[in-house]
Order: sequence, then structure tokens, then C-alpha cells
Amino acid sequence: MTKSLSTRTAAKKSLSMKSVFALFSAGILMSTLAMFTNAEEIATLRDNTPLEEQKAPKVMPTVANDDIKKKRNYPMQPPVIPHKVRNYQVDLKVNKCMSCHSRNRTDESQAPMVSVTHYMNRDGNFLAEISPRRYFCNQCHVPQLETKELVENTFQDMDSIMKEKQKAQKAQAEH
Amino acid sequence: MKNFIIKMWQTIRRPSVHFSLGFLVIGGFVAGIIFWGGFNTALEITNTEAFCISCHEMEDNPYEELKTTIHFSNRSGVRATCPDCHVPHKWTDKIARKMQASKEVWGKIFGTINTREKFEAKRRHLAENEWARFKANDSLECRNCHNFDYMDFTAQSTRASEQHSTSLASGEKTCIDCHKGIAHELPDMEGVEGW
Amino acid sequence: MKMNRREFIKANAVAAAATVAGVAVPAAASNLITSSELTKLKWDKAPCRFCGTGCSVNVGTMDGKVVATHGDINSPVNKGLNCIKGYFLSKIMYGKDRLTTPLLRMTDGKFDKNGDFTPISWEQAFDIMEEKAKATLKDKGPTGVGMFGSGQWTVQEGYAAVKLMKAGFRSNNIDPNARHCMASAVGGFMRTFGIDEPMGCYDDLEAADAFVLWGSNMAEMHPILWTRLTDRRLSAPHVKVAVLSTFEHRSFDLADNGMIFTPQTDLAILNFIAHYIIKTDRVNKDFVNKHTNFRLGETDIGYGLRPEHPLEKKAKNNGKTAGDSTPIDFEEYAKFVSTYTAEYVSELSSVPVDKLNALAELYADPKIKVTSFWTMGFNQHTRGVWANNLVYNIHLLTGKISTPGNSPFSLTGQPSACGTAREVGTFSHRLPADMVVTNPKHRALAEKTWKLPEGTIPAKPGYHAALQNRKLKDGELNFYWVQCNNNMQAAANMNEEGLPGYRNPKNFIVVSDPYPTVTAQAADLILPTAMWVEKEGVYGNAERRTQSWYQQVNAPEGAMSDLWQLVEFSKRFNMEDVWTEELLAKKPEYRGKTMFNVLYENGNVNEFPLSEIPDDRLNQESRDFGFYIQKGLFEEYASFGRGHAHDLAPYDRYHQERGLRWPVVNGKETLWRFKEGSDPYVKPGSGWDFYGKPDGRAVIFALPYEPAAEFPDAEYDLWLSTGRVLEHWHSGSMTQRVPELYKAMPDAVVYMNPDDARKRNLRRGDLVKLISRRGEVQTRVETRGRNKPPRGLVFMPWFDASRLVNKVTLDATDPLSKQTDFKKCAIKIEKV
Repeated sequence: MTKSLSTRTAAKKSLSMKSVFALFSAGILMSTLAMFTNAEEIATLRDNTPLEEQKAPKVMPTVANDDIKKKRNYPMQPPVIPHKVRNYQVDLKVNKCMSCHSRNRTDESQAPMVSVTHYMNRDGNFLAEISPRRYFCNQCHVPQLETKELVENTFQDMDSIMKEKQKAQKAQAEH
Repeated sequence: MKNFIIKMWQTIRRPSVHFSLGFLVIGGFVAGIIFWGGFNTALEITNTEAFCISCHEMEDNPYEELKTTIHFSNRSGVRATCPDCHVPHKWTDKIARKMQASKEVWGKIFGTINTREKFEAKRRHLAENEWARFKANDSLECRNCHNFDYMDFTAQSTRASEQHSTSLASGEKTCIDCHKGIAHELPDMEGVEGW
Repeated sequence: MKMNRREFIKANAVAAAATVAGVAVPAAASNLITSSELTKLKWDKAPCRFCGTGCSVNVGTMDGKVVATHGDINSPVNKGLNCIKGYFLSKIMYGKDRLTTPLLRMTDGKFDKNGDFTPISWEQAFDIMEEKAKATLKDKGPTGVGMFGSGQWTVQEGYAAVKLMKAGFRSNNIDPNARHCMASAVGGFMRTFGIDEPMGCYDDLEAADAFVLWGSNMAEMHPILWTRLTDRRLSAPHVKVAVLSTFEHRSFDLADNGMIFTPQTDLAILNFIAHYIIKTDRVNKDFVNKHTNFRLGETDIGYGLRPEHPLEKKAKNNGKTAGDSTPIDFEEYAKFVSTYTAEYVSELSSVPVDKLNALAELYADPKIKVTSFWTMGFNQHTRGVWANNLVYNIHLLTGKISTPGNSPFSLTGQPSACGTAREVGTFSHRLPADMVVTNPKHRALAEKTWKLPEGTIPAKPGYHAALQNRKLKDGELNFYWVQCNNNMQAAANMNEEGLPGYRNPKNFIVVSDPYPTVTAQAADLILPTAMWVEKEGVYGNAERRTQSWYQQVNAPEGAMSDLWQLVEFSKRFNMEDVWTEELLAKKPEYRGKTMFNVLYENGNVNEFPLSEIPDDRLNQESRDFGFYIQKGLFEEYASFGRGHAHDLAPYDRYHQERGLRWPVVNGKETLWRFKEGSDPYVKPGSGWDFYGKPDGRAVIFALPYEPAAEFPDAEYDLWLSTGRVLEHWHSGSMTQRVPELYKAMPDAVVYMNPDDARKRNLRRGDLVKLISRRGEVQTRVETRGRNKPPRGLVFMPWFDASRLVNKVTLDATDPLSKQTDFKKCAIKIEKV
């Protein structure tokens, strides 16, 4: 709809809206004539519960601690933490995370070294140690709890889009 | 007053003048038991968490910090109290530790750490004492509960089992080398090996 | 040669076809795709969708979808960084339950307040809205119509909404959710300085020697500013950080002086600092004499509850005079604060004397450049305006203001709380550029700019946020449109006010949202809405930085932007439907015209043709309406502030910049206002000039400590504070749909002191009820999380749609700012 709308010009405006509405209504009525949602069930994050009521809260989930790296949604995404961080102290006195993830600790810890961007200051110059602006790891990196998301996310990563495109190109070329 | 002291001294020097030998032997034995029992009872009282945190310095600082850690609350409810980690179980070691602890009483009386700020100022020093003790006794108090022989590596996370089956198994590392700051906040870790 | 959009698309299609037909696509030579044609991402800038920090992000799109986002290295705000929420922006638009069709509660094909949500067309949606709005206008007049908007609206959307409501429907019953967030800050600025928004800017973060956080958990709520503060503290070791809060949280990790105070006693601590400065003879007398006045404020002003509430009956000055004050001199002021001794305040607040003194010394020491930050701790406070006034007092007494590093800085929670809610003036009492409806000159100016007859804009302020819910419940507000917020979840006392209000059979409630939220569930009609980079817009952040972005992807088919909805709906009304005959008689040429014609085709808003939009740019609304509507709205709006210390640059410039801080005069942005040399509006030779006030002097207010509206007693024995978390933004309607963020913080738990839990025979994970006089909510106990409350206080975040903590909270507000105090009420906790 937005595409068809966006190609209209000013002169056709009022007409276009009407026709779009007509198209739109017809489409919707055809596809969703018998569809309705119980008013008490619309808020997806409430698990079909009327606003006056509350379902018993589920138990507190445990922290995923399998050390298995998760694929990132895109290269710039900060990786999630695949282990527990209970009582990991990061404050004025100490940074517990860096006792494994800093450059000079990774031989012993075999933990991934923090990325090189973490050594850059605000102006993009590299420092000898992790930049203080990146000191609090938990601002970007979080552990994951053993629980299932309430709503599926349909985000499509660039790889799958590229592959689709490549496939389409090949198919077209073969024709 | 002076006379009384002299008389007492004479009695102690030459008790048999006043008491029979049997009385002295039996009496001494009984007194010894009472003293010994009392000493040990008293010692055991000082060996409880309740005693430790009867000083606000301990209650407000290390004990408060302990509350959120796994050594306080965990899945099986087996929890460590102060003396479990900070007092050796063997009698001779215990006495040695208690002699050291008299210094802590001194500290209490003179208010060495009677505010959070003073405690913070001493934190590195106090922590280093404990690290050194654990290092010297191969983390004995840890091992009282966490016995290496019975660890099930398959039940541990990958990281943990890797480290425990290599560095810990070979004796190259002891518990405290890695597990610092697990029950209380860490001090400023500048220059500490492995940090 | 210039191609129009259609030609451009055609040419591209031909080129693409030629490529396919003429050049054989090589077989993949590798397991990697390396063809630049395939791997290329289209990058463009946009401000982050979340908080008021206003980070700039780079948005990567491919085939009409957002596939990546990262911090914009060129942005002075965040210099390449994002917080965890910002890094996951790519996924916020792709929750599977995106709404794509209007939904109306219906039974047997007809609207029924108790019916089920049934898909209808946009045409049908506007039909029923038109019907209900016209019926309300006929029945109740303009005051029966209302709108609840947002600090997440783009500037243009907020501006279009103000025009629609205040000029079109002639109702001032429009308020933004920023009322819950920034109203006390606005009140504080207006009362002390006579002009809104911070004088300083984020550059203060690299210049200050000390930072004081007053009721602000920046580590979680403004993470990127926190990275700058952390950078400064750790790279310049002389820098000190003081953190004040009613419970320990992540910002204490960086605190040199962390202080937990009893709720509401921040007022006393602020007065103590003023007293300390005076007592130790560190008042900057030259500054105070030249640039300030002293005034004694009215006290005992009530708690903004319903008039029949016992507390309101008891309060002496809760009427129109609550904001009054009388002039006093320095001696009287000094005497006023002299009762706030360290010992008295320490006892009241439970902060140790030495910590209070250390804090006061940061302000008193003339060598220390000090920046104060605050957010909801001050603003969501029944004396929020006072708290704002009192912190300005200590900066003014010492002259530590408007110079690099010396900065009393109010942070904002929403991406355009400043830009849209405050600068545009979407409040029930405001107009653009700090003007108010109660001022006849201001109304006249707005009417002139908008080409409206004199007397169009009503003089009486409309219903503010809390009052809107009360008026809905009372059946006085009958046609109500909620856009771009989730107020059923966000507003206090949902059980007694919000929910009965929305479900009152007299009312028709419209909710526009991308997702089916808690508020949508309470609505009668839900409109599917485009979000973020699915539309073009402008946001204004906390440091007066105005940032724009282009539409970068299309919204899911069927979802339309708030702007399109507002403007399209205006076509449904002739001026005769909304204006009186008397008013029409003053502008007869408007007879027979629609609101669309009068408000948006007024020669200003439709001034810029489509040809000004680059051909390769999407712009759904403009191409639909036939003119560059975002630019037209912006330029008309900007005309209010230009020459009045709110100058904005020409619209097009913002597309080139990573934002500019207003006033932008002669193309140059302003970093520190009120200071000669950095602010072009300051009179030469004055040094400082608080030109918001007629005499150029800021006001130091004598205001006392007064207790909270509700506090723990024998039965309700705990303080409840509510707030936010790092991983979720506000009500979580976007972030709870990002799996990584959901799994990092899935549920709102109640953070409790382990001793309080033990005392009630509770442990971590236990299922409990939080019970107040108004309602209850169930959740689970957390005794060892990131927040460590002292004994006697618990904290529960409000992001969780399934655990609605606002069923429990109290809708007491600051009587001056009308902002709700979400930080203090009394509850008890019982095991379920």
C-alpha cells in the first residue's frame, strides 16, 4: 500500500486516497472477513490475560551457562555472554570481566579478547589499555536466561537476504 | 595489699604446706578439665558466625557482602559461615589463627575499621592476609568442603572443568589463585597477579 | 538532468534487467558471497529510537529491510558507541505481532464497546472516529475531545497534533507522556530561569571535576552518557563522583561517595548544601549580587490528588496560588536554610554527616567544576519543581553555571521529550517556543502564524495526563486518541483511574501503535502505526540537539505513521463542524474548507514541493499528501523560535548534520546558554544574562522539606519505588520483542533487601503479592540482583506487560508540574 501511495502525485491526491481505500478495504475484507481477536487476548505480552487479572508469574529462569557462542545478528552486534556473571565485580576497584578477556589474560583464560574497538578512545585513537569509556561491560553485553521469547521476531539477517538474491539471480540467468 | 600479695605468692610457691598432695593432684586435674573445657567452649563460641558479626564492623562489611553470594544462598542450602573459611579446622592451626585474631580484637577496641571508609582503606591489606594464608595452606578451608577427588567435571561448565582438570589437578594452581572475591567484594586489584 | 521518482525507478529497473539479460551471472566461486552488488548495504543516519541521550546510529538496509545498526562514529554524542538497546535497534520493527490493519471492537459487524477486535479498513476506522468525535463535539463541546501524545512523536507529529487539537478542535486537552517524565524539569526551568531546557550540554562531561547524580541511575538509563562520565572519572583520577539514591544501583559502581537517603529527604539535603555554602562563606557574592534574586515560595501545596482526597482537604495552598512566591533578601534566605544543619539533615535522611559534608564541599569549593545530573528521582516527585529549583540554588549561590563543567543538567527519558513535548509545546498549557495558552499575546502570535482568526485557541489550560484519566473515568472526556505511548501500563493507579476511564461506556478510545500493547487492549479502536525509520522525522535530545532522519524502509503494508493519521483524519472535518459561527465569521474564507485545508494546506505547511525530496528517498506521507509535509511543518514551527532564543537551522541542514544545539544563530550552534561569549543572546558586558527573566536574573528559591504524600506505616510497611532497567525501554513494547533483550531481562521482579525478605519468611524466587491501598500485583522476589535496596524499601520496574506494577502505585502529582510521583508509595508484601 505504501508503495502505491508513494508514487501518486499531488494532483491525483484526493482520487488516489479514495482508490487506495477502496482497494485496501476490499483486500482486507476478503482476507480477514471471519477473523477477529478476543478483546482480552490482544496484548501479546500478556499471554491472553484480561487487564483486570494476572496470570501467576512463571518461575525465575536460570542463566544460560553453556559457554556456546551465539551467532550475531550482524557483525556490529555486541556478543551476548554465554556464561554466568553472578557477583562479577566491575567497579572503581576492579574489572572482573577483564581478568579473562583482556589481551594479556587470554592465553591463560582462553577467553575471547575484547575487540580492538574497545581500545579506542572517543577520538578513535588506540590506547595501551581498554578505553575507560568501555569500562562497564554490562552496558552492551548481557547474559541470556533460559527462557523462551514471548513473541517471535522476524528480523532477517543480511546473509539470508543475500542468499535469496543470489538464488534469484541464478534462477533468472538460467532462464 | 602488699601483704596479701606476698601471702598468695607463698601459697603458690609452696602449696603442700597448706593442702594435701592428693587434694592438689585431684583438684588440679578437675581444675584443668574445667579450665580446658571452658577454654574450648569459649573458643568454640568465638568460632561461630554469631560471634563474628557481633561486631558491627563484621556485620556491616564482610557479612553484608556475603549475603548476595553463592556461599550464602545456593541451590542446596549448604552455606559457609565465617569460620568455615577463616578458621582452620585442625586444632594447632586454629590456635595459631586465634592468636593472630587477637590483633583483630585490638583493631576492634581501637576502631581501626569502625567506618566503611576505614574498612575500605584496609580492604586490600586484609584481603592480602587471607589470600596469603589460603595460598600457603593450599586453600585448605576451601578444600574442607570442595574436595578435588570428588569433583564431577562433567557436571561443571566447560570453562570450569577445563581449568580444574589441568591447572588445579597438577597442583600448579590452588583455589584462591582464581577464586578471589567470591564471598566478599574485591579490593583495588592493581598489581595483583592474574588480574 | 533531473529525474522524477517514477523515472528514476523505471531507469533502475531497466538497468537491472539489462544486467540480468546481458551479463551472465558468474557461478559462485566460493562459499562466500563477494559480489559487491550483493553484499553492499545502504547506510544512513538516524537518531536512536530510545532515550533522551540522542545517540546517532547508522542504519544498514538491504532490500527494504533494516539488517544492521551501529553507533555513529561521526556523532559527537556517542562517537560510535551504543548501549545494548541501541545495538539491537535493527530488530525492534520486526516483532511478529506488528499490527497491519485497524482493529475495532465489534459485535455483529457493528461497533460494540464490549465486542471483539475485528479488522476493518482505514476508511471504516476514520468513519467511526469521525462519528464519535462529531457526536462528542455536539454533546460536550471541545473539552470532550482529548489526545494523549508522546515525547517519542517526531517534532512534526507533535506539531501537527497541537494544531489539530488546539486550533482545529479548539481543545487544550492534549498532553504528552512527557508529563510523567519531564514536567517537573520544565517547571523548574521556567520558575528559576524563565526559559526551558538545560543551559549546558554534554561537553560538560569532559570538563567537570565532580559529578553529582541526584536520583538518576545513569548507568542503566543513560548508558552512553554514563560511558562519557566513566571515561572522565577513570581517565582523570582527580574527578569525583557522588551518587544519591533511595537504593543502591549500578551507578554506585563508580561512586566515590555513594549515599542512600530516606525517600523525599533530598529536599532537605539540597537545603543543607545551600546552608553549608553560606556557613563556610563560599557564596560567590559578585555573581549572586549581579545575576540572582531571592524569593520565598508558597508551602503546604498539596499532592495533586483528586480534590476530595483527605490530603487535599488538609493542604492550605493547593489552589492556583501554589506556585506563588514573594521577594526576600539574602539574609532572609540564609536564615531560612540555616535550620538545615548537617546533624538535622543526617537524622532525617539517614546519610552520615561526613558524607553530607563531603558532598557539600564539592559544590562549595570554588576550584571544583561540578555537574549535577538528575532524572526521575527529582522529576517524579510530589515536590519535583522544588527539587529542580533547589539544585539550581546551589549552582547559582556558587556561580557554577553555564561554563564548561559547571552545569546543573536535567536528563530526559524520551528521544524527543525536549524536541517534541517541550519545544513544540504539546502540553495542555503550552504553545511552541515556551509560550503558554494563558497568555493572550502568545495565543495571538500562534493564531497569526497559523493564519487563524483571533480567539481560536482557548485560554484555559486543558487536562493534563493524570487529569485526563480522571476525566475519562468521570465521563467528561469522551473522544480520546492515544498516540505513540503505552499509558495504560505507564500511568499510576491503573485500577482506580486509567482502566475504568478507558472502559467507561461513555468514552471512545483510539490507540495508535505498531504493536498490540496493554493500552491497545484497553482501547476501542487500534490503528496500526509506522515507526522509527519507517517515516521521516526530527527528534530533539536533552542537550538541545535537533536531529533529523529520512524514511529508510517502508512500514509493513497497512501501517501508517502518526503524522499521516493525524493529517488524514483532519480531512474528515469541515470548519463548520469544529468552529463556532462567531469564529467563522472572522474568517469567512474558511467556510466550507476542511481542517486539512486550514491547518495544513495553509501556504506554510504545503510550501515545499515534492521536488525538494531527493528522488531516491522514500517519504510515504509527503508523496501521499502531495507536498514535502515534514519540511513544511518544521519550517512553520521553527518560525516561532527564530529570533526568540529558540532558533533552529533551516530544515535541510539537519539532514547534513549529526544534529545542532539550539539556538542556532548565524549557522552556529550554542553550547552554553546564558554566558557571554558562548550564547549570542547574552547582552554584551553582562557576563551572564538569564534573559528568560525580564530583569536577566535567575531566582534562588527558599523552599522547605515537606513529607511525601504516602509513607510506610504499621500495615503498609514498605516504600515502593518503580523505574526502568537497562535492557528495556520504558514499557518494553519494543525491547520485549527483541529476543536477546527479552532473555537478558524477561520479567519484572521485586528487588528486596535480604533481611526484609527473611523477616517475612521470603526467599529469592518466592511468589509474592505487592499490595497497596489501590491494588495488587504478583511477582517474584529478587534479593541479590543489580539493585540493592536498603531495609524498608523495595524496587520494581514497570516494563513488564504481564506484571503491571502501576495497579499499585499512587497517582499523587506535583501540584505545580502535575507530574506523577512514581517513586514513593506505601505497600506490604505477602507470600502467595
